[in-house]
Formats: sequence, C-alpha cells, structure tokens
Amino acid sequence: MRDTIRALRVCLWCLLFVVMEVGLYLSYCGHDARFHYLTHFFVGAATALMVMSIVAVGRRRPVPYPLVWLGAAHLVAMFPDFLFTAGTAHYWWMDLFLGHISTHFVPGRNLTWYLVFLATLGLYLLVLSRLPDRSRAAGPG
Amino acid sequence: MSTNRQRPTGRSLLMVWVVAAVVLGVLLLIAQLTRGPLDDPDQAYQRPGILDLAVLPEPAAPVTADIPQPGRPAIVFFDRFATLPALCHALPDTGLGADADLVIVTPAADIGCGAIPVVEDPDGRLADAYGMRAPAAGGPPVGYAVIDAQSRIRYRTLDPTVTAELSEVRTMLEAL
Repeated sequence: MRDTIRALRVCLWCLLFVVMEVGLYLSYCGHDARFHYLTHFFVGAATALMVMSIVAVGRRRPVPYPLVWLGAAHLVAMFPDFLFTAGTAHYWWMDLFLGHISTHFVPGRNLTWYLVFLATLGLYLLVLSRLPDRSRAAGPG
Repeated sequence: MSTNRQRPTGRSLLMVWVVAAVVLGVLLLIAQLTRGPLDDPDQAYQRPGILDLAVLPEPAAPVTADIPQPGRPAIVFFDRFATLPALCHALPDTGLGADADLVIVTPAADIGCGAIPVVEDPDGRLADAYGMRAPAAGGPPVGYAVIDAQSRIRYRTLDPTVTAELSEVRTMLEAL
C-alpha cells in the first residue's frame, strides 16, 4: 500500500511536469516562439541535470523528484519571458537567469543545446547506474 | 523516493536517454519545419526582445521628410501588400501613434493606411538601410524597427505575426 501511494505521488509529479511543459510549449507556439522555448528548456534542464549529478554523487543516492528539478530550472531559465509578457523588455542583466539572452546566440543554436542536454542527461543516468544498490544494502524483505 | 528501491538497470537508463533524445529531437525538427517563409532564417534574431543587439544603435535613414525626427521616437513597419490591410486595421487601436511617429514601408505603396504614411520601397533600399534581415524565403521583410528620439535604430526584427503581436512593439518602444 505504501509503495502504491509513493508511486502515485511520484506519478503526480510526473504528470504535473508534463502538463506544465505542454502548457509552456503551446504558449510559446501561440507566440510563434518554439525556438525560444527549446533554448530555455535545454539550458534549464541541462543545468538541473548537472546539479542533480553532483548532488546524487554527494548523497550517494538519486535526487528525489528529478522531473521537478528539470521543471524548476526551466522556469528559472525562461523567467524573463514572463516579464516580457507583462511588458518589460529584455536586458543583458537577465542573463542571470541561466543566460536567458546569450544562450540564444551560441554557435549551432538549439542543436548545440540539444547535444549539451543529451550529454548531461547521459551523465546523470551514468551516475545513477554507479550508485550503490540500496535494495541490497537494505537486505531482503 | 524509496531508499530500498532497486537500482535501475543499464538497459532502462538507456531507454530513458533514447526516449528523451527522440522526443526532444522531434520537437527540434518541428521547430525547424514550421519555420515560415517570412521568418528569420536565424531564429535567434527574430523578436529577441532586447534593445541595442549586435551592432545597434545605428543612425536611422530618413523614411519620409519628417520621419524620423529628432526628439520623437518612430516605428518603421516593413510589410507586404497582402498583410498590410490587417496591420492598418490594428494599428489605430494600439495608441502607438500617440507616442511615436509611425510609418509603413512596402514594396508597392498603392494602398492607403489612414493617417499613417505608406512609403514605397520597390528595390528594398530602405529595408537595407535599416539593416532588416532577409526572410527565409527571400523577398522583402515583414517586421519593424524602433527608432529613438535621437534618430537611432535601437531595435529591429523580422516579425511575420506583427499584427497579432503589437503589444510587443509597445514593450520595445517603452524600453527606449
């Protein structure tokens, strides 16, 4: 029973993440700005995955609710776009939000960030695969 | 998370990576394929939302005898014949004309736009003078440039959906 409740709780976070990302994607599509959505998603998620890898190695266990980390970092990366929608133009200081301005102009554009995202995801998954097996540590039952 | 959960297998982790790569790769592809003929071939320069990007500010070339004029901002819209009526219809409701001089540049100016002057630019010289980037499919640009009270170009972008995004023009004007 406890496992079921835990699983549902985890799935609820997954569902919230998916709903939020689909909502954000559609919102950017509505403004003809898919490119910007993808930049901020890749940058936010890659940053989160780097931090998650470091935390997971330090704690010797996976981070809780990994999709929440990704979603939160994405929201940070795109935060100036909320301000823009409210009528505040972009300024260079907004690079504080995970390089909100500069990240659009890296060579290769979103293809570069896609590859960076895949590399950091691979790193985090590699970290997961090397963590101690807690099912064995806890013993049978 | 459970502390006694079994470690995921290498195969399941690889599946996570592959699924993420495919889903996001498809989104990346969609973003490329849905780029319209009037969009900027380099999307980083389309509606960046920031003044003085790259080489800006630059002096703004005269569009009419009194636009731009010192002491008053101006917005130079670049549009095409087919979409001009919608822009002309939408502009008066924005109140932009109260805060800046408005002018529309088109390849052929055989259409009026109320009190807003329409300037013909058949050979694209004005578009070039304003540094407007060429759309993905070529031809004259659809977008706008924001000129400050010192007659300098502070912002320019292609924007095929400008009629629906005139609030953005207001945002950039207020940022001057």
